[in-house]
Parts: sequence; C-alpha cells; structure tokens
Amino acid sequence: MAALDEELPAVSGASSRGRTWRTAAPYLLLLAVALALPLFANDYWAVIASRAAVYWICVAGLNLAVGFGGQLAVGWLALLTIGAYAASILVGRAGMDPFLTFLPVAAIGVVGGALIGATALRLSLFYFAMLTLGFSTIVTQIALAWQSLTGGGIGLPGPAMPAPFNTPWGFYLFCLPLGALCVWMTLNVAASRFGRALLAIRDAEVAAEASGIRKPAVIVTVFAFAGLTATVSGQLFATLQSYITPDAFTFDLTVLLFVAILIGGRGSVLGPLLGTILLTLLPEVASPLVMWAPFLYAFLLLVIVLAVPGGIAELIDFKNRKPLKSGRLILPVPERLPALLDAARSDAAIGVSGLSVSFGAVRAVVDLDLTVPAGQVTGLIGPNGSGKTTTLNAISGYYVPAGGWVAVGGHRLAPGVSSSRAAAGIARTFQTPRLVGEASVIDNAMIGGSTAGRASFVETLLALPRHGREEAHLRARALAALDAVGLADLAEARCDRLQHSEQRFLEIARALMMRPRFLLLDEPAAGLAVGEILRLGALIKELRRLGVGVLLVEHHADLVLDVCDQVNVLNFGRLLAGGTPDAIRQSEEVRSAYLGA
Amino acid sequence: MLGAIVASGLAMGAVYALVGIAYNVMFNASRAMSFTAGTVGMMGGVLGALFIGRFGLPVPLGLAATLAACGLFGVVTEIVAVRPVLKSLDQHLYVLSTLALALMATQFTAIEWSTEPQPFPRLLGGVGGVLDEKFWLPLAACAATIAGLEYLHHYTLVGRAFLAIAEDNYAARALGLPERNLRIAAFALASAIGGLAGFAAGELLLAYFANAQLLAFYGFVPVALGGIGNNRGTIVAGLLLGLLQQAANFIVGGVFASVAVFVVFAAVILIAPQGLLGGQRARRV
Amino acid sequence: MQPTRRSVVLSSAAALAAGAAGLRPSFAAAEPFKIGWPVTLTGPGSAPGLSFDLGVRYAVDRLNAKGGAGGHRIELVTRDTQGDPTKAVNIVQELISSEKVSAIFGPTNSGEALAITPIMARFGVPNVHAGTIDSLIDPVKYPNAFRIAPAGKQWDAALRHYVLAVRKWKKVGILGDTTGYGTTAVSDSVAGFKKDGGEVVYSATIDQTQADVTPQLLSMRKAGAEAIVVWSVSSGLEARIMNTRAQLGWDSPILGHPTMGSNDVRKLLDKPSNFDKVYVVGFRSCTRDASGKLPARTQAFIDEVRGKMDLKRAILFLVLIGVDGIDLLAKAVAETGSTSRKAIIDYLNTVKDFPGLFGTYSFSPTDHDGYQTTEVVMCAADSLKDGALAQAPGYD
Repeated sequence: MAALDEELPAVSGASSRGRTWRTAAPYLLLLAVALALPLFANDYWAVIASRAAVYWICVAGLNLAVGFGGQLAVGWLALLTIGAYAASILVGRAGMDPFLTFLPVAAIGVVGGALIGATALRLSLFYFAMLTLGFSTIVTQIALAWQSLTGGGIGLPGPAMPAPFNTPWGFYLFCLPLGALCVWMTLNVAASRFGRALLAIRDAEVAAEASGIRKPAVIVTVFAFAGLTATVSGQLFATLQSYITPDAFTFDLTVLLFVAILIGGRGSVLGPLLGTILLTLLPEVASPLVMWAPFLYAFLLLVIVLAVPGGIAELIDFKNRKPLKSGRLILPVPERLPALLDAARSDAAIGVSGLSVSFGAVRAVVDLDLTVPAGQVTGLIGPNGSGKTTTLNAISGYYVPAGGWVAVGGHRLAPGVSSSRAAAGIARTFQTPRLVGEASVIDNAMIGGSTAGRASFVETLLALPRHGREEAHLRARALAALDAVGLADLAEARCDRLQHSEQRFLEIARALMMRPRFLLLDEPAAGLAVGEILRLGALIKELRRLGVGVLLVEHHADLVLDVCDQVNVLNFGRLLAGGTPDAIRQSEEVRSAYLGA
Repeated sequence: MLGAIVASGLAMGAVYALVGIAYNVMFNASRAMSFTAGTVGMMGGVLGALFIGRFGLPVPLGLAATLAACGLFGVVTEIVAVRPVLKSLDQHLYVLSTLALALMATQFTAIEWSTEPQPFPRLLGGVGGVLDEKFWLPLAACAATIAGLEYLHHYTLVGRAFLAIAEDNYAARALGLPERNLRIAAFALASAIGGLAGFAAGELLLAYFANAQLLAFYGFVPVALGGIGNNRGTIVAGLLLGLLQQAANFIVGGVFASVAVFVVFAAVILIAPQGLLGGQRARRV
Repeated sequence: MQPTRRSVVLSSAAALAAGAAGLRPSFAAAEPFKIGWPVTLTGPGSAPGLSFDLGVRYAVDRLNAKGGAGGHRIELVTRDTQGDPTKAVNIVQELISSEKVSAIFGPTNSGEALAITPIMARFGVPNVHAGTIDSLIDPVKYPNAFRIAPAGKQWDAALRHYVLAVRKWKKVGILGDTTGYGTTAVSDSVAGFKKDGGEVVYSATIDQTQADVTPQLLSMRKAGAEAIVVWSVSSGLEARIMNTRAQLGWDSPILGHPTMGSNDVRKLLDKPSNFDKVYVVGFRSCTRDASGKLPARTQAFIDEVRGKMDLKRAILFLVLIGVDGIDLLAKAVAETGSTSRKAIIDYLNTVKDFPGLFGTYSFSPTDHDGYQTTEVVMCAADSLKDGALAQAPGYD
C-alpha cells in the first residue's frame, strides 16, 4: 500500500485546494448573507429566514434519499410532523429541557426513517411514493384523533426555547448553525462512497450491485439520517410556529419539501439548498401570486423534469458548459495497470458448471460448462440471442439459474446475489454502459472502489480523519485508473458529456477500481473506432499478463481472435464449439453458424 | 343498515375500481403509472356539474362532453407528462411529471371552480334509499366499462393491439404496431374511464377539487392489491375496498377507518408487492 | 358563477386602493392608524373570512369617510392566510415588524389563531378577534388579546340549553367532521351533554369526503336519538347529513354550527324541505324575533348597506363582528388620541358596554371575553332573509 501511494500521482495540493475553494464559494456567500441578515432586516425576515433554515434541515437529509438515491419519498412531512409532536409533548407535557429533547426526537427520526427506508427496498418507486403520501395523511389523522396526547384539533404549544433563543433573531441564530451543519454534513456524504453509491443506485443500479454496493445497508442508513433531520426540523418547526395543530402540516408543505429537491437538482446539495430558499421566499415576495403558489410549484416541477432534469444545479454549473476538447483520442497507458491490481497472483478460476437459465418457456442457456482461468482471456461468441450476455448475467448474479452453478476457485457463489461478486474478485462492464450521467468521470470511476471503504456513515458525516484518508487514497487510485484507460484529462467532466467509446473505457476504469481478479467485458468494442479497438486489445493483453482472468463477450471477430487464449461459441444457449482462436477459425460449424464467412 | 353499507360500499368500490382501471390501461400501454388517474376522476364530477348543472346541457350531451374533455386531458397527459420521459423509463421520471400535472389540474380547479364542494345534478331522478341512482350509477358505469373493454379486447383490432402491447411492448413494436398512437389512444381511453367514474359518482362525491387526491390514492389501492395491469384483480379489490371502507366508517368511525384502510394497503404491498392476484414484473438487465 | 378566489382578492385590493387614493388629502396631518387584518380569503374554509372581510372593509370605509379614528386615517393591511398556520405566522410577523401595524383584527381560523396569538402577545400588539377556542383568551398569558364573539363553549351551552331545557329532548346523537375543529367540538359537546344530564346515544366523527352517511344516521336512529347535533364547517358533510335524513324519512331535528344555515349548504340540498327542523347557533343581534323583526341597530345596518353589500352570500353575524372589531379599535384610538400599541391595550381594558352591532362588549383587566352568553340563541335554518335567521321555535 505504501509503495502504491508513492507510485500514484498524488492529487496536487494546489489544484485540490483550488477546487475546494471553488466548491465552497457559493456556500460561503450564502453564509455571509445569512450572517449579515440581522444587521439590516427586521424580525419578519428573521422568521422567514428561520423558516428557510428549518425547512432546509428537513430537505438536507431527504435530499440524500431523493436527490441522490432516487427514492421518491413524497410524504416526508410525516416525519417532520412526528418530530414536531414528539418535541411538543416531551417539553410541554413531560417538562423536558428543550435542548435535551433533541436527543429522543432525533432517535425517533432515526428509527422511523430506517423503517420507511426498509419499505423502500421492497417497493417499486410509484408504490413507495404512494405509500409515503398515504402515510403522511395518516399521521395527520392520528394527530387529530389521539386527543389525549396531541390535543387533537386544539393542538399543543411548541417547545419554547430559553433566552437568548426566544426572540425571532435569537431563534434564527440557533437554526442557522444547524442548517449550515446540515450543508456541511450532506456535502461530506455527497463526496463519499455513500454519496456515490446512492447515485449509482439511482441511475445505474445493476452497476452498483456489480461494484459490490449493498443497497439495503446504504438505503436504510441514508433514510435513517433523513429521518433524523426531519424530526429535528420538526422540533424547530414547532418552536417557530409556537403552537402546532394538525392543519399546520399542509399538503402544500409536503409538496414544497419534495419539489425543492427536484427544482434544485438531483444529485446536488447547493441546488436543493437554493430551491428551499427560493420556495420559502417566493410566496413572501410575490404575494399576489400566493394562491397560485402550489400551482407554480407543480408547474416548475414539470418544467424541470422535462427540460432541465438537473434543476438549478445544472443551470449554475458553469464549469460543465465549457466545450470539451474536440477530436480527443483515448490513449490508454497499460503500464499504469500493475499499480492498480493486487500484486499477489492467484490461480483460481471461475468455473461454470451445468448452467441453465430460463425465462418462462424460453431456455436462454442450457447446461453450459465454462472455465475462466486466471491470466487468460476467454472469449464467448455467438449470434444474437445465443445466450452470451445471459451467461455473463448469471455469473454476475443477476439471474438465478434454473440449474448448475458458478464457482470461484471451487467455492460456489450464491446464486442471484449480484452484490456478492465484487468480493469474489469479479468485475464487469455492460453492453450498454451503466454510468451516472450527472456525476463526474472520476466519481463514476470511484463507484468501483465502494467496497474498499471502511469509514462508517457517521465518520463520513463528520468528515473524521479515516474518511478523509480513504477518500484521498481512492481519488488517487481513480485518477490512476483513468490514466490507465486514457481518460485522465476528462476526470472532472460530467460523464454524460463523454462519447460512447469513452464511456466504455470509463466502465473498464470503474471495474479496475475493484482490484479485480476477473473481468467480464460485455461487447467492449461495440461502437469503437478501429484504433480504439487496437488499444483496447493492448489493454486486455496487459491485464492478462498481470494475471487477471478476462471473459470477453464480443462480436468483433478480429479482436476476439487477436486477444483470446480460448474461444467458446454459443448457439441457442448451448456450447457449439470451444478451442484456440486458430481452431475456431478453422471450424466449419462455427463459420456457418456465426462467422458467416 | 347492512343494505346501506353494502349499497354505498359497492358504489364507492366501483368508483375506486374504475379509477384503478384507468391506472391499469395507462400502465399497460406505457409501463408508466400516472397520478392523473385521480385527477380525471375529480374532473368527471366537476365537468359534469359544469356542463349539466351550470350550462344546462341535457344529460347525454353533458356526459359526452365530460368524457371528451377527460379524454382530451388524457391525450395532453401522454404528450406532456409521459412521452418525454419514457425514454428513460428506469429513472421513473413519470412519477414526477404526472404528479406535477395532476397537482396543476387540481389547483387550477380549486382556484377557478371552487374550493367548496358544489352540487352535482340529479341525472334520472326517481327512488331514493338503497336503490337510489347515486348508488347504482357507479356500478352501472363499472359494468359498462368492463363490457366495453371486453368487447374492445376481443372483437376489435385496436383492442388486440392493446393486449399485445400490454403483454410485451418491445415485441409489439417489433411487430410494427404503431406504439405511439396506441399509447395516445390508451391514455385518452383511460382518462375517459376515470372521467366516467367521477361523473357516475358525482352525486355521491359532489363536484369537489379535493376528490382528485382522494381518488388518486383510493383508486391506486385496488391496483396494488389486485396486481398492476390486472383489471379483473382491480375490480374485485376495488369493490372489496369500498365495502371494507364503508364498514370501517360505520364500525370504527372516521379517522380509524382511514387508518384501517391504510394499514391493509401497506401490509399487502409489503407482503406481496406484486399484488394478491398477480401482476407483471419487469426485467432489469 | 361563484366568486372565484381571484376575483375576490382583486376586488378587495381594488376597493382598498380606491378608498386610500380618494381620501388621502384630508389626513395629511396625523400618521395613519394601521390595522393588520390576517384573514382566510381563499382556500377551503374561506367562507367565514369572506363574510368578516365585508364588514371590516365596510367599517374602515365608513370611518375614514367620517374623518378616521380621531383624525388618524385608518389603513387596513389585509393579508390572505389561506387557512394555513405557517403562512399565518409569516404574515403576522410581517404585519408586526414590517408593516408596523398598531393593532390586529383576526385571524379567522382557529389553527391560525392558536399559532399567532403567542406571537402577538410577545410583541404586545393589541388583538381583537372572534376565535371560538377557549384557550385563546387568557389575560395573564395574552394581556393583549380581546374577544368580541362567543367562545365555543358558549355555543355549546346555548345549543344544550335549547335541546335539554327548551325542547326537553333527552337523547342526542353527536356528529362532527374529522378536522381539528370537528374532533374537538364533538368531544367537548359529548362531555357537556353528559354533564347536563343529557344522554348521548351515539357520537362519531365523519371524514368530509365520506360519500355516504347513511350508516351513521341509521345507527343513530336505532339508538333512539331525538336530536342530531352536528359540529362541522364542511358544507358537503352538512348537506349529506340533511339529505340522508330526508331519504331515511326521519324527522329528528338537526342542530349545530352556524354554517349549516349558509347558502353553500342550501344549494347542495336535494330539496329545500331538507332544511326543515334544522336549527343552527345564532345570536340575538342578528335573529328575527317572534314578530319577524330584527333588532333596530341591525335593521338599520342592513338598510344602509342594501345594494352596496351582497348579504345573500354572506353570514350576517360575521359581517357584524367585522364591523364591531374595527369600530372598537378605532374607538380606542379616537379616545386615547394615540396609535401606540400600549395605549390601545390600556383603553380596551377599560371598555364598558361598548354598543356594537353584533353585541355589547365589556372588558376588564381580568376578563377579556367581551360577549354575553345569553345572547346566543338557536335559529331555524330555513328562515334566511337578508342574511338573518329567525329564532327557533320553543323559546318563550
């Protein structure tokens, strides 16, 4: 590891600091305005600004689940409501200290958020959206009905804060640091393996699984955090309102919390922050429009979804407006590969035995035996629909085979558990690149390094040293991987601005981040220019030399015959022939069935 | 007593089932769920009251105008909120775009129509009590819709094309079916069905903007229970939901009835996300 | 067409602008007396706010035409809260800190009132309102707040008095909607009837959206209810109860909230006769007596505004309270010659028998409930004329 660090180009201090400053500038500007506000504004603006801060605290956590993770928790107001009532009851009825109350209130949020997150794992997005919407209605109804506890329709007083936080500005100065803390914490998460895992789950779920990301753990953790910020924000909301009744938790507020994130931009922290401020402010400055406000929110949402999926964040992302250099070449540097892979060789092979996969009545793969030895390139060819990709997917654990098994070094892999493959040393690329379009190239590469992370979510939230060390190391490795596949110059570009061929190489870089012992490539040469195919071939050969077992599914006969040690030909899901490239080239059967020559 | 619960339960159940069918018809043609299913239910009531109650159109004409307007809204839904986001179906952006459109239509109604429930005209008059038209009209609408859909699916080319697309839209496109036109037709049809639900239930639910949210949720419950895309399951589940809800209203009262329905809904979708009667599952890789 | 939310807001804004522009010159000397008026003008539950607003604007215009409040032109700062307590909190802070109003009349919705009453108290802004929730008046906690309308318990007491003492019905069924108001009013009412020796044979809360209330009414009839008490502001639910009662061929009286007598309910009825035996909470000042006459002051008001104010859509007693609220605040400024918040509160604490249109009000430093209970009576819903109802039968 130490040797590795020396070999890798350290992210240069100056450029890294420059990037940090550029990223921090808008937040510092907002903070400066927020701090200066008491100097020139009256109490009314203290209330509005506090409200924005309180809503933001709820949005901040939710943003990780909705904006980053793509989980459509529409009715998150439910947890804010629960937090508001819990705090009011604890302070008002049980006489608890309002500061201490934050602890049980936060705990309720963690538990509630985690429970809701667990349901998200079982449900499709629309079902989940409906469930959360229904839940938020039910919570209000229960607050109405449970009169002995909640005061029913008469409600109960919110927790009053002691001096000096009992004036509008005092309370604001209590909320502001909490809001700023949420910005900082969610930025930490965003730029961590958790943030990247969420993006991958949102936009490229199968790639997330192939990278070893365990969706349940990530989603439940993030929802627990979102629950925490929601209930804490609920307590602040109750204090701000001074008195809560069920009708304070309006449907408009449900919409506001959710839409602020989408207007702000998915996968951004700054965007939803600005979105929250905007939606809190809008009805105040445009009072004639006030009754149209919900209509306008909805309209904005529609426009954003259709026209600017990246939201405000995309509109203010000037960095990615600059055109990328045209006529750029992908020039891999195979010499970089040794530093990226484990030095220790292993002779284990992937063994596929008697594999059968069926879709309903269709038998896609029938009784297939296949070996992918270390340090060799194994080709898998065949006509369309012959079962090549299905085989790859079964090895990767996306399908549960009807028969047979997949083993590495004699140990059978759990069928259908795709997230376990990374640990077995199997990495892969996809026929259609599965990348996070809105994330940077280097972030996409770093998704591949998810399993290497040890820092816990809490360490990440608080940017404790271990998290920082891991991130710096991962980043350096990702740069090296990008360098190896010839994309280092594009590291900071948005991934969806890349050409198709560049995205294919990026998938390889992501796979390399896993220090794979086996690499499954699904038509990596499709759409590549001739020169690029040659360079891809060189890369594959170097991987073989370093002991990686490569399984290559490919239509490009030239590439296959050039790099493979062993070629297997599939037809109608069965092994038609197998042998060295030369033998396959000679085979009449193969020529007639597939090569067509 | 039992008669009253059964009558209103079946009537509400029929409305939920029809809204559920609207969800299904849209889903089968596009693989997208649309929040506007509830909106058209609300529009059926409001437009019926507008055309017949305010403008004084005769009932058949008012019904035709209502269904046409709802159908048109369906076309708009397809063009504005569904088609643009279909290419990235796995990002599920339709959830947001249809939610946005549904909220816009509901808010517009609230502002331009009224935020208070408005009367819906008597359509036929006649007996009151358990056999009153307000109870059997939704059931009749539901029966007519089932018969109409059966006829469509079994005896017309368009209907068979719908079935083909519902079965496998990739294959259907490969067969050269005009997928886009069929989708527009399906959205128009679904929205007209939702409009019919709201119209038939006008006397029960009144012409009220807030019915949109109510129907969007309670219309979805039978879809989730019966299995997505499965009309038979939806109808059975819808009628059961209506009965359960009315019985709960009576036995445990307002708030707890909503809680009871929600708990049943949550339990079912968590235990059997594909619905009790089986729905469709999409392939991922 | 119904008045849409937009047309209402625009027209009130226009009226305000016109009033201000036409009258400005005569008040050049004194600073204006700013009254904040947070009110639910749009959204569900805006009907009461619209009625209040008619009276408020009428009073402001009339006072300004006569020289304002002690030479101070009255400037009304109207804000639509949309029935949303979060908006109300923002708005009341704006009125206090940005608009620097001297006094606030309102709000008109109980959820909003609960939220903003402590805020107004914190800033010592004189507040006159017509909220029905008991806890809104507390001279120790809220020394700035004064009520000029009956509290909810007074409505409940008057209704109970009519049912149990006047008509001698013993068995009642009590219904409410599932809003904050409905659930609370039902449980209060159940407790009240039990305390006064009535028998509550059935009680339930019903969701406003519930399409059919036959089961509830049937069980209530089965339980032997002689009277149906309804606490709701949902016109849809109220009309459904009346229609269902008729369909069941049942003739038990329905008694309850004043909105039951409103036009919103009337137009949802299957037939006009469904209003038979519906008695709503009313007030002597806007109730015709046995001879069909209104109190003279009220009649004079109606005659004066005839043609200028559309009382058909309004709820008369709310209009009158609106007028009284402004008159009372203007009187405070006129008497003390000051628009300072403290001076107004000090004056209000000394008000004795202020003759308003709706009622006669008296306050003391320890009693901020200015309205007399005996003035609440039950009225017959089917007797609406000029926005006023006739007293229900059976009173002496």
